[in-house]
Amino acid sequence: MDKDAPQQQGSEQSKTKGLGFGVMSREVQSIMLILVGGAIIRISLTDIFLRYVKPVMQPYLIVAGAFLLLLGVWALVDQIRRGSSHDEHDHDDDEFDDGHGHGPMRAAWFLLLPVFAIVLVAPPALGAYSAEKDTQTVAAPSDDLFPPLPDTDPIPLSLNEYAIRAVWDDQRSLAGRNVELIGFVTPNPDGGWWLSRMTMACCAGDATATKIHVVDPPEYEANTWVKLDGHWVPGGGVNSDSAIPWIAINSIHEVPQPKEPYE
Amino acid sequence: MSTSTPTKSRARVGALEILVGLLVIALIFRWQFTELFASPAIQTGATLFVSIVVQALPFLVLGVALSGAIAAFVPASFWHKVLPKNPALAVPVAGAAGVVLPGCECASVPIAGGLMRKGVTPAAALAFLLSAPAINPIVIASTFVAFPGQPEVALARFVASLIAAVIMGWLWLKFGKGEWLRLPKRGVHETGSKWKSFRLTAGHDFLQAGGFLVVGALVAAILNVAVPRDIVDAVASNPWISVLALAILAVLLCMCSEADAFVAASFTSFSNTAKLAFMVVGPMVDIKLIAMQGGWFSRSFVLRFAPVTFVVAVLCAVAVGWWLL
Repeated sequence: MDKDAPQQQGSEQSKTKGLGFGVMSREVQSIMLILVGGAIIRISLTDIFLRYVKPVMQPYLIVAGAFLLLLGVWALVDQIRRGSSHDEHDHDDDEFDDGHGHGPMRAAWFLLLPVFAIVLVAPPALGAYSAEKDTQTVAAPSDDLFPPLPDTDPIPLSLNEYAIRAVWDDQRSLAGRNVELIGFVTPNPDGGWWLSRMTMACCAGDATATKIHVVDPPEYEANTWVKLDGHWVPGGGVNSDSAIPWIAINSIHEVPQPKEPYE
Repeated sequence: MSTSTPTKSRARVGALEILVGLLVIALIFRWQFTELFASPAIQTGATLFVSIVVQALPFLVLGVALSGAIAAFVPASFWHKVLPKNPALAVPVAGAAGVVLPGCECASVPIAGGLMRKGVTPAAALAFLLSAPAINPIVIASTFVAFPGQPEVALARFVASLIAAVIMGWLWLKFGKGEWLRLPKRGVHETGSKWKSFRLTAGHDFLQAGGFLVVGALVAAILNVAVPRDIVDAVASNPWISVLALAILAVLLCMCSEADAFVAASFTSFSNTAKLAFMVVGPMVDIKLIAMQGGWFSRSFVLRFAPVTFVVAVLCAVAVGWWLL
């Protein structure tokens, strides 16, 4: 066995000779597939994936991750089996050299970046930094009829729903009602803070912010999640998609970040 | 054994050694790594980067699975039967065939590469490459949803994208040179069983396209964090500059075509024609695609193909926008 090992290495060397630095060998290609597939499965089986994409993506992510994992394991098993039977090493060379002059597989190294980012850091959901940068857009509803609000008191609403009703509802359905909103604190550079929430169209890459101006706000740190029981007060403008509606506080307290940080 | 190993590793650092080295470094400096991400700007950039990659991955996997299946299971004769013999006719047929592929642009690059490997006229494969991510049912439906009460926007998108794709196919037929396209050698993955060929093609295609997707996502995330939004907003006021600005923004943002309609709709200060330009250009030319196509087909290809596609897409969007919107 000991005599075998260096010989193996020798043939490994001749196999990769001439490919240049950083060109991926077959074994590493398989390991990369396993790493990427594993990282995707890892975040999609927990709530972590909700920081980046919509909940509906979960099954697709699991299937995609499993596919990559399977592909990698299958290739690795094949390579190990073939490696122990001492042949086909020269044949393997063909598979690197696929006609590109500039080292085709070098770019695949970049796949380590998302793997590291996911496994080591798992960056948090977008928060106050993005919300402050984003210009408010409260899109006009497609028709003017708002369905009646439920009879509960307070009414749990999404920030988006609150903003649309506050800005675009001529019937003022929010007037005189208590609402319950959950969002995070985004400091307003002009003082105070906005209750805010990010909305994804597709993934966090295209998320937009909904911000609501809080009247007489207590002190909170940026990115603190709060549950705000409050009522609508006029202010911030109406019938304009850049309006930032107002809310006055009945009661407010800190809450943990919701499972789905986006609306 | 102990004497021979050091000399050999000095002689050559293999990919496996690099990988192990990187993993060890990442584990050792894990805390420094995490601290670096304490800054809100870097943290936001990292979130955007990861989310673009994660969102695109299932589509990319679908694409490489299809391209692998095309390579392994669909005989070359099938394409010769389906596509007209005359390349000039094959281009619009392939362009219209984009209707049936429910994917985004990440998936279409490996599929178009797979088609060319199978001997499909490059012009037809390129028309398919450009049209598929823009005119498939999911994208048109999402455009329809994003512009409530304005079905003409979805129609305009369909028409403008298809015309632009077909024009590009014909331009390639007239001026394109085969030497610009350097595809993976044919026949390499066709040794052994069909399943082995599927595995090799899909794995290879994923690593190739995935690497460039990561580069594109990285650039998009950095731009998103670094370019202030008010600069973008200031441009919106001029109708001509606004068309060009949204077209360029589409190139920079690297949006998935299945999502870009919602973003386009959110540019409320811009004209519908400018939004159309955003939605026609985005699936055809963006940084991520340029990187992917460059890696796939060669740099000299993408240096010619991407700018021409950009011009053709903008002109089609303006013409169709003027006609329909």
